[in-house]
Amino acid sequence: MVRKEEAHNLEADRTLVLSSLEHDQLVRAKKHHIPRRILKGPELAVLWALRIYLLFMMAVVVYQVWTAAH
Amino acid sequence: MSVGSQPPRTNGIAGDEIVVITHEDVDRAHDRVRVSTARGQRGFFSGARLLWLLVGPGVLVMLGENDGPSMLSYAATGAKFGIGFFLPFVVLTFCMAIIVQEMTVRLGAATHRGHAELIFDRFGPFWGWFSMIDLAVGNFLTLITEFIAIRAGLGFFGVPPWIAVLIALVILYAALMSHRYWTWERITLAAAAFNLVFIPVALMTHPDWHAVRHSLIAWQPLPGFNKDTLLIVLADIGATVTPWMLFFQQSATVDKGLTTKDIRFGRIDTVLGAALATAAAVATILATAPLFAHQMTADNFQAAEFAQALQPIIGRFGASLFALGMVEAGIVASITISTSSAYAFGEVTHKPHSLNLPMRQGKAFYSVLTLCAVSAAAIVLIPGLPLVYVVLLVNVVAVLAMPPALVFLFMLVNDKEIMGDLVSPVWANVLSSAVVFVLTTAGLLFGISVIAPNIFAALGGK
Repeated sequence: MVRKEEAHNLEADRTLVLSSLEHDQLVRAKKHHIPRRILKGPELAVLWALRIYLLFMMAVVVYQVWTAAH
Repeated sequence: MSVGSQPPRTNGIAGDEIVVITHEDVDRAHDRVRVSTARGQRGFFSGARLLWLLVGPGVLVMLGENDGPSMLSYAATGAKFGIGFFLPFVVLTFCMAIIVQEMTVRLGAATHRGHAELIFDRFGPFWGWFSMIDLAVGNFLTLITEFIAIRAGLGFFGVPPWIAVLIALVILYAALMSHRYWTWERITLAAAAFNLVFIPVALMTHPDWHAVRHSLIAWQPLPGFNKDTLLIVLADIGATVTPWMLFFQQSATVDKGLTTKDIRFGRIDTVLGAALATAAAVATILATAPLFAHQMTADNFQAAEFAQALQPIIGRFGASLFALGMVEAGIVASITISTSSAYAFGEVTHKPHSLNLPMRQGKAFYSVLTLCAVSAAAIVLIPGLPLVYVVLLVNVVAVLAMPPALVFLFMLVNDKEIMGDLVSPVWANVLSSAVVFVLTTAGLLFGISVIAPNIFAALGGK
């Protein structure tokens, strides 16, 4: 009896989910990776330039903290 | 055919495929049914109900970013420069935040994936780990400053630091205990609404409305162009646009279950959040402007000390509201920022990551959230920690980390393969490029001011 009730609830949940959510909103669908994009030369150049910018600026912040501490 | 560590609630046959439904799916489906029902009805009240159901991530991210360090930056701005250039400047920074955050709504609704997950999948782990390290370091530093604000704010009422930190952690867990995104969002929104407490505090100082109107129109008086001004400029930008906001709003949009049909409401949500946050930010500058008028230095003011300094002007009640506002700012941001870290961790490691997860199924998600919050809280208890300077620097670090994060966002939101027709229009690309330019230039100017501090004097600054 309990098993029948559980099965009914599970079926109701399934119907609810499949009718309310888009397919790619399901947790299961999100397990599939989105294909990798090949980055082109200019894109890589911008990403590297910003990475170097960030590392340099972090060094500046550390320098400022060091000078303030002294 | 189970999904990771999440045991299936049920399964069935759809065509040849077994469809596995999780607890998270069921909770999200219930939320979507309410949205569909409201959308199917006509009339003003149905529209208002639909807005009520769909607002959340935008308001939370904007009021969440009005956090401890941000409110302290605005307070320092008012106390150091009074009413002038910085009032319209802060409004401008929130306009930049709208441009940036709107893109995350579109990305989340179109792809149903979090920001960290998309960066890893589309650009690979090499660039993915870079952006994750930026996020993790930035979030942890910011979290520390949130607990500084909580500690300082409650310190105004004589609450010992360890009890202040404990209160914040208890509130954070109270919001999480529902294990339901919807309930968590409403509790956090209710707490975030308290950010507007800075408005009555500002009114108590009886601002000169003529001067306010003049500053908003003419952007004057201009501050002197020097290192201190630049630090405040960067701190105020960092108070409105930071990397965690991108990750949080996109992940929350996905967790809430928004779809492409909801993008219009996602935009309204973002603009509404920005309007509320702008009002609170401007009010904070107005509230501390009398300290500038009375020539009181703000260099050594911690969050609670601003409240103490304002007490002779606005009385004990007003000062208490100011201190409570600092506490609220810290608590809401500690909730949203630790959640942002936990979302990103789950997305990158492909562990279940949702506020709809029961504790048993979301062990990794809740553990990361807990670890971030508790370790940041513990650091704040170290005696002798420098406060105001650390807080302003955290905002500066956030600004410096923003251009790389924005370029990833820019590339994703213009990626036709994942966005389809929802790629950014030309005008949006022009505006977002302008934001990247402004942030990078501000960062470079800051760098020059540190390395060659005399250069501004040579250019006519102080």
